[in-house]
Amino acid sequence: MTAIDYVNLLISAFLLAGVYAAMSVGMTIIYGVMKIVNLAHAGFLMLGAYFAYELFEHFHIDPIIGAVLALPVFFLFGVAVHWLLVRWLPKSDTPTLSSLLLMFGFWLVLQNIGYIVWGNTEQSIFTPRTVSTINFGEISISTLRLIVFVAAVISLAVLQFIFAHSWFGRSMRALIQNPYAAQIVGVDDQRTARLTFGLGTAFAGFAGSLLAMLYSFDPDFGRSFLLRAFVIIVLGGLESITGAAIGALVLALVETFSIMVVPAGYQPAISFALLVVVLLVMPKGIAGLLQKRWRFV
Amino acid sequence: MKTRDAARRLTIVLPWLALLVLLLLPKLGLSSNAVRLLFITAVWTTTSIGWNLLGGIAGQVSFGFAVFYGLGAYSTALLMHAGRSPYFAFLGSAAVAVLASYLIGLPTFRLRGPYFAIATIGVTEAVRVVMNNLDITGGSSGYRITEAGPFNQLVHYYTAIVLVAVAVMVSYLVVHSKFGLALRAIKQDEDAAADIGVNPYSSKLWIHAIAAALTGIAGGVYARYAAFIYPGNVFAFQTSISILLMPVIGGIGTIWGAVLGGIVFGIIEEELVVYFPNVHLMLYGVLLIVIVLLEPDGLMGLLRRLFRRKSSEDSGSADADKVLWGRSRLEGREL
Repeated sequence: MTAIDYVNLLISAFLLAGVYAAMSVGMTIIYGVMKIVNLAHAGFLMLGAYFAYELFEHFHIDPIIGAVLALPVFFLFGVAVHWLLVRWLPKSDTPTLSSLLLMFGFWLVLQNIGYIVWGNTEQSIFTPRTVSTINFGEISISTLRLIVFVAAVISLAVLQFIFAHSWFGRSMRALIQNPYAAQIVGVDDQRTARLTFGLGTAFAGFAGSLLAMLYSFDPDFGRSFLLRAFVIIVLGGLESITGAAIGALVLALVETFSIMVVPAGYQPAISFALLVVVLLVMPKGIAGLLQKRWRFV
Repeated sequence: MKTRDAARRLTIVLPWLALLVLLLLPKLGLSSNAVRLLFITAVWTTTSIGWNLLGGIAGQVSFGFAVFYGLGAYSTALLMHAGRSPYFAFLGSAAVAVLASYLIGLPTFRLRGPYFAIATIGVTEAVRVVMNNLDITGGSSGYRITEAGPFNQLVHYYTAIVLVAVAVMVSYLVVHSKFGLALRAIKQDEDAAADIGVNPYSSKLWIHAIAAALTGIAGGVYARYAAFIYPGNVFAFQTSISILLMPVIGGIGTIWGAVLGGIVFGIIEEELVVYFPNVHLMLYGVLLIVIVLLEPDGLMGLLRRLFRRKSSEDSGSADADKVLWGRSRLEGREL
């Protein structure tokens, strides 16, 4: 391996991290505000992929625009799901089994709808951009991956802005920090939860559309990404957007560079193994680990 | 009071009666298809009872039972290939499953509630990927099992029935022992349980091992019958889901709930799928949603409700209910 190869790998890891971060923030904010481990996230990712696919096939809408269109559509969808199912769950300040099973059941339903509507053949979105690259001397970057990366980073920046500077973002942060105190000072937890679920679903749909441009998909599409999203949000300490971004970067680096040591057949096991290791070694994520260090100092 | 005694006597007699009927049924000229259905249902029910020991009684929800089922299936396959008797092979399956449960439990039981559940998803997927790539198991193309002698369906059937009976007895012994009480304490509040002298960590490891042994043997019995196994089948995430769904459908935390769930699931999985092949995932999904939102005690809770409405004087206090049925609420405190 030459230095150029390393640089290429590093760049592709960074580009991958962008999509991974966009894919896991939805889950992060839903977990943070409601303490729901949203297994239906995989279903939303899958629907997002097919959303972009349908728009592309029938209306010839560019998948990037399709991804942006997915945001409002999936926001409304998420609000509806919250209204229909999620709000009936017993409230709790730790994740409950009933929420896990409920979202899991909903995922099965979404997956089955996917099989009924689209069948179990793999689909993919192929545009002229899919194979084009941008070259800087020996370093070549896939145009598509770069565009997807930029779209993901912009969306994350917007989300971070909402999180930090809007009234809604402030109530989200308040609920994450202390749900009881937040309600005492007048945060409407039901309304915030509803909007958060909508926002999280919107991001899942958006990320699903982005992923559809990079990978082929079928109705079981979201599963491997769901587990990756878990690894990422656990790495990121479960409740912060910046944490999710850092987690995404770590996972992308590990996955990309492990190609050099782990046989290709075993590749899918890496994220799963990492999930278990991370849960055990640093349950509070990287941030938690750093905090612990600082407390010692 | 008299009727309650009668009801209690009934709950003691009924299982034995059911066992007797199941043992005699093939003699009454059942079609081989019906025997197959009963066999598969019995195998599923065993895994359901196994899962319920860990998930229902100790409150540790695992998405990872396909690991034990698959390891059991492959251990039996490999041991039978080496010329051992199938029954010896089943013991081997149990041993391998117990070992695996220990290796998995050792790190993951440091986690609690949903974190444990999520970690088990990771373990299952990782094990499946590894099994897909190993040479000894034939990789993803599967493994064929050959057994000397003619195929006798009834032998398989009786093995499965005996296995279910053993599983129910093990469950019963666990629930009615001091160990069972400790597990219940862990389910209700792990810290409080530790304060009164229960070691949650080792208790969980023990019950995990018992549950894994039952599931592993069930996997072995299935493998011997199916004669062909591959990782995409026995190690599938779907298998883990099926094993988890049964006790939840039937009524989590009760022995008979797990049995009932296994029976209902077996019939749905084997018969209804033929008529509604496109919606069986949806069926499970909707069932899960309905159960979580409307009747957390599953079919058992539903039955109890009907039973109570008919003869309200019989069901006594909530305390009696607890003794009779075991309490099960899928709520935050019990995670």
